[in-house]
Amino acid sequence: MATQYGIKFAVHLITNHFGNLVAKVCECLLRRGPLTFEQLSRFTELTKDQVKNSLLVLVQHNCVQAFILEQEGREGSKVNAQYLALFDNILHRLRFPKFLEIVSQDLDEECVELLEGLLRDGRLTLKQMVDRASQRKENAVALDVVQESLHKLLMLRYAERCPSPEPVISPPVDLDTKKRGAKSKIAEEPETIEYRVLEAAMPAEGIRFYLTASSELINNSDIYPGRGVGENVAREDSMLFRANFEEFVRRRRHKVLVENVRTAHDDGAAIVLGAVLDATRNAEKKVKMEKSVPLTLDAIFTEVQKTEIGLAMTMERVRSSLVLLGCTQRTFDAPYSIELNKIIESARDEEVESIVLKRYGTDAYRMFRLLSKTGRLLETDKIAESTFVEKRDTPKILYKLWKDDYLHMEKLVLTGARQLKFLLWKVNKPILWERVLDEMYHAALNLSLRLAYEQEKDGELLAVPKDKIVGQLQKRYKRLRNSWLLLESSLMKLDDTLMLFHDF
Amino acid sequence: MQGSSLKRKRPDNVPSSVSLTDAERVLYNVIQGKRDLGIWSKEMKEETNLPDNVVRKALASLQVKKLIKEVVNCQNKAKKHYIASEFKPSKEITGGDWYSEGNLDKDFIEIVKDVFLKIIFIQKVATVDGILEWVKKNHAFHVELTSHQIEEILQALVLDDQIIEMESTGFGEFASVPAGRVCYRCKNKRGPKGEPKIGAMASIPCGVCPRISSCTPDGIISPRTCVYYQKWLDF
Repeated sequence: MATQYGIKFAVHLITNHFGNLVAKVCECLLRRGPLTFEQLSRFTELTKDQVKNSLLVLVQHNCVQAFILEQEGREGSKVNAQYLALFDNILHRLRFPKFLEIVSQDLDEECVELLEGLLRDGRLTLKQMVDRASQRKENAVALDVVQESLHKLLMLRYAERCPSPEPVISPPVDLDTKKRGAKSKIAEEPETIEYRVLEAAMPAEGIRFYLTASSELINNSDIYPGRGVGENVAREDSMLFRANFEEFVRRRRHKVLVENVRTAHDDGAAIVLGAVLDATRNAEKKVKMEKSVPLTLDAIFTEVQKTEIGLAMTMERVRSSLVLLGCTQRTFDAPYSIELNKIIESARDEEVESIVLKRYGTDAYRMFRLLSKTGRLLETDKIAESTFVEKRDTPKILYKLWKDDYLHMEKLVLTGARQLKFLLWKVNKPILWERVLDEMYHAALNLSLRLAYEQEKDGELLAVPKDKIVGQLQKRYKRLRNSWLLLESSLMKLDDTLMLFHDF
Repeated sequence: MQGSSLKRKRPDNVPSSVSLTDAERVLYNVIQGKRDLGIWSKEMKEETNLPDNVVRKALASLQVKKLIKEVVNCQNKAKKHYIASEFKPSKEITGGDWYSEGNLDKDFIEIVKDVFLKIIFIQKVATVDGILEWVKKNHAFHVELTSHQIEEILQALVLDDQIIEMESTGFGEFASVPAGRVCYRCKNKRGPKGEPKIGAMASIPCGVCPRISSCTPDGIISPRTCVYYQKWLDF
């Protein structure tokens, strides 16, 4: 389940895109978890038609996935179908311009337009893509032209076949969610119901990124279980495709990893990491890889040489960059694996430290960084000594950070000739990051609401012809434009940080 | 201390030539017993049950006889703290190497930090030993700094995010330092004037807002009514 303000922000995005009714159904699923159609109707107090239409929209746009929970003794039926809200996919709706930018760097304009259609309409058949392209060009567009663009998107995994509409999953063996209650959602990836449903729904690896499944695969009942060949061929014709969010998130993650390494070290290390990630992209089993897929030094060197600047790098320089990236010296043949999680952790630390500096000042910043780096409990005086803050001032600063949940505190009492009391402090990263993430969702919602308010307030200015915007009106217009730009760019920048804490 | 304050509780190091009154001896024993931690005058009165004026007179006399000394307690400069002369006051009382008269010598610390930053900037990569050698050779400061003290300042610069501590690769700019040895280099800054990067959250009003927990979309404090947003957008 997402955080409190995560849900509010997601509902806000759905309201903006699809209206209040759809948002009400979506909110109900986000707050209560997977529900059947009956339960949804009851909880939302909407009519069956309203719930049905809302679900259709949400499924079309990949914000909800249906599934069937197998029941003991009998096969699952449509009656038992449940609906699961996909929080991540809802948040991705904010990022469509970023995804389009990624494609525009790698592929031609036709591919970008095709992806734009997939993002706008959620999912399309090949025929729908052709119709759409013809409408745009005001001329009939040939099927093979659209097929070629879709094929390019599939090859780079920017597009994929849509998942199974109602996969069947077995009931969870032992959830034991109460025990995990206090733990953070960021730090661990348990097999949640969402994970199991998405895994079950995903098309088989052999056809997920293919335009047409081979006849062998169509005949294979594992691909479309319980269906005959004829039905499978018909299904192929009406096969739906959609944007593959996973790949876009992976690309953004790789970009952030490389840029962070460039800032922390140098261009050489950035080139080596970039080469490793490019070469192993398709071998990554998931987005949140803790370490890069192992490669030998030879393979890494070959990849580096493919880049323009990497051409000038020697083997020794590549090896030294790998050491900078935290890989220990090895023999020639042993593969290298870079700790990607450490780079992500470092980027998250910087973001939180930046907030502490701005909110609480330099002394607090130093103390927070000390505790963050140490990762264990430290006593008040020890913190004062290491950060060069007056011992008598230190407790006040630590207390302020503790009151706002940036620090964890424990009391230690030693009894002897005299009773001595010590206060020990620590940064608990998983819990803190989750709290910071919720605050960021809150801030993103605020930015979005303020933007809407500014647009409402002075929106009539946009209707005024440009030549009539003079004097005081011009001043207002300039302020309006600058406000919009500032709010929009701040939201996009904050969204990068949301991805850093939630998706990477 | 229980019982008669006139009884001697433990042997002391008072030379036989120095004579002490009973009160002085009792107080001296208490102070000496605290070794390098010393004791606050009020705590002494509580332990010995001696009247105020007796304690005051005895302490003054012990100081004249050079048996005890008054030290400044960095935790609270207003408290009169006493220690036996033969002890050096502990770090808990003085604050440590970087304290002077109970205050952190911030000016001196900033000077040392500045000098070290310049050394690291010029040398590109520096070690504790390298800086120690430079400091000794150039008589950079009026006091001699130990390796430990140099390391403390370098760690403070790491916490300031001015330098990075890392292990030498032995290659390129690290060639002067053996591979694996701990060394320091300047942090790459983002801004044109070398200022550190400000995070996305810290760049917006919500990121530093003291009232965010009270802020709601339609509440009294909301993004629509927010004065911080108003100021931020009225640039």
